[in-house]
Amino acid sequence: MVSLRRGAGQLFETERRLNAVLNNASVSIFLIDDRQHCIYMNRAAEQLTGWTLEEVLARDCPLHDIVHHTYPDGRPFPLDECAIDRAFPENNQERGEEVFVHRDGHFYPVGFTASPIRDDATNIIGTIIEVRDISEEKAAAERQRLLINELNHRVKNTLATVQSIAAQTFRGPPDPAARGVFDARMAALSTAHNVLVEDNWESASLRSVIERALAPHLLAEVDLNRFQLQGPDARLHPKVAVTLAMALHELMTNAAKYGALAVPDGQVILTWALRDLDDGRQQLNLRWEECGGPAVTPPARKGFGSRLIERQLPMEFDGSAEITYAPAGVICELQIPLTTLGWVGQETIEGRQAS
Amino acid sequence: MTLLVGRRVLLVEDESLVAMLAEDMLVDLGCEVVVAMRLDKALAQARTGSFDLAVLDVNLGDARSYPIADLLFERRTPFLFATGYGRQGLEEAYKAVPVLQKPYQAAPLEHLLKRLLTGDAQARTGAGGSLMACACHTPAGQPIRADHCR
Repeated sequence: MVSLRRGAGQLFETERRLNAVLNNASVSIFLIDDRQHCIYMNRAAEQLTGWTLEEVLARDCPLHDIVHHTYPDGRPFPLDECAIDRAFPENNQERGEEVFVHRDGHFYPVGFTASPIRDDATNIIGTIIEVRDISEEKAAAERQRLLINELNHRVKNTLATVQSIAAQTFRGPPDPAARGVFDARMAALSTAHNVLVEDNWESASLRSVIERALAPHLLAEVDLNRFQLQGPDARLHPKVAVTLAMALHELMTNAAKYGALAVPDGQVILTWALRDLDDGRQQLNLRWEECGGPAVTPPARKGFGSRLIERQLPMEFDGSAEITYAPAGVICELQIPLTTLGWVGQETIEGRQAS
Repeated sequence: MTLLVGRRVLLVEDESLVAMLAEDMLVDLGCEVVVAMRLDKALAQARTGSFDLAVLDVNLGDARSYPIADLLFERRTPFLFATGYGRQGLEEAYKAVPVLQKPYQAAPLEHLLKRLLTGDAQARTGAGGSLMACACHTPAGQPIRADHCR
């Protein structure tokens, strides 16, 4: 008698422990009988499916018809096509991925593990199914795919840009100085990308682009004795940022060689403003003016810098650009309508991050 | 070389620096080049200008160059796509158009432009790549790989 009472007590303890395990598990657990009816589901399974165990028992039908009855495209999903059902009589821990239907009608991707339950004679009398909601993993994989595509696109663009700068720099008869010019252009391109990275390559601060482009090298600040900078900050599309940075680099190189920065007291006054356009975009109006330098004479031939600024930049952004070789100092005026921020796939990524 | 001299080419390429490179290559081949860097400007050029050939970058920032392609089909102007993604990056209806794999290189560019001038005008759909099957060789004896994607 004593041992029987102890046995009943042990059984009660075991059941309490099992319930504690099952109802605190974050994975959903279903017990399925040999007719594919659910005879038990834990609390996580109730939350996952939107159904209570009581309701599922009352339906008296295969679990498939409650949580897996429709394909995501709306077609009915018969039980005999169900991979989880097929896993039923096979081996332990059959794994797979499926898409379930919530009680409220929404679809959600799940990963499942199904194992048979056997009786004393090793006959299969049911299945235990563990199910996890894998929406987050799927969304993360999609984000990663979009980011890799975008990265691939940008890397290819950058390589094409480098190729072009090399071709422009080394065009014409061999010139020993060309190598130095090329290295400085590479540094300017690299610096522009540093500014982009500060905001995940989504946009760049106009002020940072200007300050970094005009700084003598990566570790130095822009020399405020030589440059007067005045204007509001703005967010630039990466394309605008890179082209503007390269344009400023060319203006600065030219000023250092022939203009205001070639003499100790010369200065560059850089002012800019933002204007609202009729179509809702903004336009950047930027003026570069050199003073205190040697008397300016227009160059005999136009090089890479003036071609980039006066011809390419207006075409790329539907704006305008003019360089004036005034005797007192070079003046460059740019009007750039600002491209709307964003890139292909960005909405998907941010929409999902927010949820 | 002489086949391309004096030909009017519409170049559509949305990146300033890359457009400079492609323009120089075309000029070096003897072509007369009109550059457009935005979809609306390119469409206006394709509509009003008269061109012997066109080179279209597929990806124009926030737009694709397919509307220009449609216009060029209508006007029977032979053209090629320039893209870093190869043929599989193209929409189905344009898969028969020759593809110049970016980055731009002078030899494949010249090769494809000549094929466009001497070959049959490309079909809108159909066996993609038939235009590419060419036994033409570079002086060094190496086959030109104008399309690395296949």
